[in-house]
Amino acid sequence: MASVGGGSNDTLSLNLNPMLDIFSILITFLLMSFSTDPVSHDVDAGIELPQSSTIVALDEIPAIVVTKTEVRVNDVKVADVIAGDVPEKDRTQGAIYPVFTELKKLAEANKRVTKTAKVDDPNAKGSTGALTMEMDKGHRFKLMKRIMLSAQQAEFVQFKLMVQKELN
Amino acid sequence: MSRKKKKRSIAYRDVELNIMPFIDVFSMLNTFLLFSAVFLSVGVLEVQIPFLSSQPPPDDPKDSRIFQVNIDVTKDQVEVQTSYSRPPEQAQKFPFPNKPEGLKQMHQKLAEIRKQNAATDKATVFSDDEVNWESLSAVLDSVMLRVEGDPIFAPAKDAKSKEKAELDAKTFLYPKIVMGSVMLK
Repeated sequence: MASVGGGSNDTLSLNLNPMLDIFSILITFLLMSFSTDPVSHDVDAGIELPQSSTIVALDEIPAIVVTKTEVRVNDVKVADVIAGDVPEKDRTQGAIYPVFTELKKLAEANKRVTKTAKVDDPNAKGSTGALTMEMDKGHRFKLMKRIMLSAQQAEFVQFKLMVQKELN
Repeated sequence: MSRKKKKRSIAYRDVELNIMPFIDVFSMLNTFLLFSAVFLSVGVLEVQIPFLSSQPPPDDPKDSRIFQVNIDVTKDQVEVQTSYSRPPEQAQKFPFPNKPEGLKQMHQKLAEIRKQNAATDKATVFSDDEVNWESLSAVLDSVMLRVEGDPIFAPAKDAKSKEKAELDAKTFLYPKIVMGSVMLK
């Protein structure tokens, strides 16, 4: 037991046993739930994800984040979301122009990387890869369609839509 | 002469155990683990959209009559449509309410359809603009994911990795989902 000396000759004994008990139990619990996934991503505060029974884990940070009020591509805000849709000034042929321009840059960068990197699949050389999207569950498919159209123009055709895994 | 065993007295000494380093390590470990703890598990649903190409679609006479599965999603209803790409099309429609019970029934129907047409591992989803993402994700769950009791279909032959193909066969009912509504106006 640790002892603390006071100003007078009396010593106070501090009982550390309960603290050690709590520490050891807390550490056991946290070690057991410690994630060794390749990607650790905190869901954006402005987003509620829909639940799903999928077992496919997230393997990359989402490139597109659609909160209740804005659309971000690689952490850069590109458009506002007002009443569940983007303003007309940002729209062109059903797609979102600022999203398209950012994704075009990302597509070029991905193509350069996959051209020079060693990949197992020869078809993946020079490809743009998949796009991970994190979207609030309250948004309508109309907004998702606009973003997918923009991505389609930038040559992205594969999507990974983030969902919250159901607890079993 | 008997020898008397001499009793040796064992001297006990007070030993102080210094637990301060122990507390230091525990508190550091605790802080690190609390900051890195993930209390929300996140997954993904993989989908594709139609690819724009200036080249004409491949016209392979061998595969000319392909079995197609389409899912039409509205706010109130989810309809499974099956048909062949060439005559006789034998089109069929199976409507279900867009509610948890309806989605369960739709999943059972899709499992039967997949049993009869195991080679078709792709489903095309057409969604109304007004359907919200939460509802659509429930439909995608129901279409894509295999549940206990569903048959396991043979892994795709054109798969790049045998292990991944076998895992996909155990995980998915329809592994390929195409969002058919995503077309330029």
